[in-house]
Amino acid sequence: MEDPEILAKFRDPASRNLAFNQLVRKYQQKVYWHVRKMVVDHADADDLTQDVFVKVFQHLGNFRQDAQLFTWIYRIATNECLSFLQSKRRRFFLPLNDVSAELAAKIEADPAIAGDEIELRLQKAILRLPDKQRLVFHLRYYDEMPYEQMAEVTGTSVGALKASYHHAARKIEEYVTKADGPAPTPP
Amino acid sequence: MNTPFRLAKHPRRRPQPLMSSPPAGYFEQLPTRVMARVAAPPRRPLAWRWPVPAAVRTALASTLVLGTFAASLWLGSPQGRPAAAAGLDAVPPPQLVEYLTSGETHFDVQDLADLPTRHLGLTGHYLTPSTSELTAALDAQPTDEAELL
Repeated sequence: MEDPEILAKFRDPASRNLAFNQLVRKYQQKVYWHVRKMVVDHADADDLTQDVFVKVFQHLGNFRQDAQLFTWIYRIATNECLSFLQSKRRRFFLPLNDVSAELAAKIEADPAIAGDEIELRLQKAILRLPDKQRLVFHLRYYDEMPYEQMAEVTGTSVGALKASYHHAARKIEEYVTKADGPAPTPP
Repeated sequence: MNTPFRLAKHPRRRPQPLMSSPPAGYFEQLPTRVMARVAAPPRRPLAWRWPVPAAVRTALASTLVLGTFAASLWLGSPQGRPAAAAGLDAVPPPQLVEYLTSGETHFDVQDLADLPTRHLGLTGHYLTPSTSELTAALDAQPTDEAELL
């Protein structure tokens, strides 16, 4: 079902639930992985994904269609992720309880990444980025989202996004290179 | 020297990084779970025991706020001071000094420094130490703590 049809059916109370069901099925995987990349843990991603779609349901009637529907949904998902991580950082105010370290530990424990040393280092490097910069990196590197669309999702200018991605990429490359350790000295 | 890592040359795993998949059937069940949440009745606010029009509720709330403000102003005024403070004024100063020096209370140099200047002559009519007595008393005070008497 195309987005205009979903929106039209959603406005009709008789077909609202059907339309919303279609919307969830259409965008659930994109939303889930967008969230999962940020919070790492499946249970957290599950909670947040549901929260995102509940908010979509509550506010879809006010959606002015000044942006693409998916961009609007992505913006809600982005805000939910950033709020979640921010509240988590506020709870873990002791230096010993570092949220980034906690996320890195979850990545290390993920069986899917076991054995792939370079990929593990890459993921840990990404987790070291500030939340917003990490988000920009994900949107560009994994989703290949155009900067113009990214600007609508994040509310940041295209120029700032390009600079942010460039710096993120440099930081990641430096970290992975250093984490490789010194080369063994020849006998 | 380490081989520099270059993102552009690293095989990009798309659309998501290497992460374990969600449980089997997750995406089949997610729409149902979301629909159940949006269909749940919203939490009802506290119900009034009697139907009160909005205008009356607003008036009651305004009265409560203004009344609280007025009460705080009155309590801060001289007329609002508790009766205990007025009762304390009636206690003769020698009795106050006797209580303070009885050992049941302790006060330090900071407490004395905070005394208003008009109370400096409080003990003048029954304590008349000489200069040497005052010096000896001060020298006898411990220097490692500021607690007196």
